Amino acid sequence: MEAILQAFALVFDPAVLGVILISAVFGLFVGAMPGLTATMATALLVPVTFFMDPVPALGAIVTATAMAIFAGDIPGAMLRMPGTPASAAYADESYAMTRRGLLNLNMGVNLVFSVAGGLIGIAVLVLCAPLLAEVAINFSSFEYFWLACLGLTCAVFLSNADPVKGVLSLLIGLLLATVGIDPSAGVPRFTFGEVELMQGVNFVATMIGMFAVSELLRGAVTVRGSGGAVVEQVGDVFRGLGAVWRRYWFNFLRGSGIGTLIGALPGAGADIAAWISYAVSKRFSREKEKFGTGHVEGVVDATAANNSALASAWIPALVFGIPGDSITAIVIGVLYMKGMNPGPTVFLENPQLIYAVFLIFILANLLLLPLGWAAIKGARQVLRTPRNLLLPVILLFCVVGSFAMTNSLYGVSLMLAMGLFGWFLEQHGIPVAPLILGLVLGEMLEQTFVQNMIKADGDWLEFFSRPIAGALGVATLAIWVLMVGRAVAGGRAPKAQVA
Amino acid sequence: MRLHDAALGGLLLGLAAWIWWLTGFFPAFPGQDYGPSLFPRVLGSGIALCGALLLLRGLREGGPVLQVEEWARDPVRLLSFLAVPGAVLLYILLSDWVGFIPLAFVLLLGLTLWFRARPVVALPVAAGVTLAVHWFFAGMMRVPLPRGWLDAVL
Repeated sequence: MEAILQAFALVFDPAVLGVILISAVFGLFVGAMPGLTATMATALLVPVTFFMDPVPALGAIVTATAMAIFAGDIPGAMLRMPGTPASAAYADESYAMTRRGLLNLNMGVNLVFSVAGGLIGIAVLVLCAPLLAEVAINFSSFEYFWLACLGLTCAVFLSNADPVKGVLSLLIGLLLATVGIDPSAGVPRFTFGEVELMQGVNFVATMIGMFAVSELLRGAVTVRGSGGAVVEQVGDVFRGLGAVWRRYWFNFLRGSGIGTLIGALPGAGADIAAWISYAVSKRFSREKEKFGTGHVEGVVDATAANNSALASAWIPALVFGIPGDSITAIVIGVLYMKGMNPGPTVFLENPQLIYAVFLIFILANLLLLPLGWAAIKGARQVLRTPRNLLLPVILLFCVVGSFAMTNSLYGVSLMLAMGLFGWFLEQHGIPVAPLILGLVLGEMLEQTFVQNMIKADGDWLEFFSRPIAGALGVATLAIWVLMVGRAVAGGRAPKAQVA
Repeated sequence: MRLHDAALGGLLLGLAAWIWWLTGFFPAFPGQDYGPSLFPRVLGSGIALCGALLLLRGLREGGPVLQVEEWARDPVRLLSFLAVPGAVLLYILLSDWVGFIPLAFVLLLGLTLWFRARPVVALPVAAGVTLAVHWFFAGMMRVPLPRGWLDAVL
């Protein structure tokens, strides 16, 4: 109880509320601009939050991402360009609604069901995380090894990419994580005599490169002479929502449920949640033929799912230090920088910080209603921001942000190299999200792996000897078998492309 | 610009071999079988396996070794693409000498003008953003942005 009161005091501090408000506006802007993603917003926020206390720093990230995931729906409906990948699943449907003159209803549905879905995700986070932490306190290196494996496996299994390329991305990420001082023997590896590389590959500079610079590179070829977009003004977004609620309440619950579950799975986040819940909605709908023609049903499922996934992705991140998606992968980096090492012990040692995160989540989702409404109303002006001005400005943020992470040009050089590398990977159909998870989890995976090998003296059966570790291990292996099976089957028949 | 899967697979096999070779220089500890080279070697083997799969699959499918998209053949769009890493490279090379404010301003102005923003808009945006970023990072966040030519003024 005392911790909860402390949390209230931490959050309802004027400076913290100010940070939350500013990051809300930032998140709405980044989310609403096509080509700028919620992950990019987080990566660009980290250098700014680097100098803050833990609560405002986490508050900025929580708020900005919650806003960005909703705001991504706005250009999806208006321009058929999803603002973030999490809105891609139903951008076509939303745009079809706009063409039928249902833009107001679509925006209202997106806003209200995003808020409600987000609250469901938060409720699950608040209820489950502390309970799981109590279980996790007894985990040994065997459980952590399998948890890390499971997280990395899900990242590959659930992505839409070619499985071989997904695994490859993962391995490259894990390999990048081995650069620097080896965790068990203290030997420098792959540093080529560079002092800066001894501490490992700087995570934030890598993120900025992979998620921001590579995106700018893709955007640069079409940006010349492009101004902003012209869209229609939105009217009353709340009209007709009651009918949608009464008709599709079950879709809302199902979408939020699927979203929460997928978010909580390590390695998969809001974008995958939206794809899957949209597909489920279509599969079980009584009016399948209406999907794709501007039908609101699938939008309810998917827009609730991506916001609920955002909150539940924090469950594995806070409890095990295993990211639920690429946003929480960055969050884990921030937690380490703040000395709040994620894991069950943080629930015992710093419960007020955990409760503060929960509070900010609730606050951010409630704020989403008025601010999101304002963003919908202001979308016409926001979307007029010319991309040819925006692109150079973001590039400058990237340079300064990565410089600030290392206080040297090493950060900038790393960002540039990773930006080009990330662009190269995406050009070849290799997704970058597994790489980032690999980079975050690499040290944990290696440390537990080597520890377990020493403990078990090379006997693999020991890895399955504890009940939870055994179950996690079997689950991981089962997914691998499924994945190889699917790859073999996919090699024969052309695979249906989801994206 | 896209390499064929087979060529990519070949590159990856090379990478795996290089990693394996590098791990040979890591010190081994007598009596300890699982040392610093174990995990990188496991990863290297995995990369080699993925590379071999891509190579085999690519050879079966066939196709050109290098696919060049339309934009890369258009010199103007190619330059737009190169302008992004080019600007960062210039920053890396010149920032210590020139300093953040003049360099950031010139780079912003150059990029916005190249992307065909109107000078009336580009000039104030470049100047305003440069000063705002400098104020926020150097002033508020105490990031040691290089002063360069303006050292005497700041």
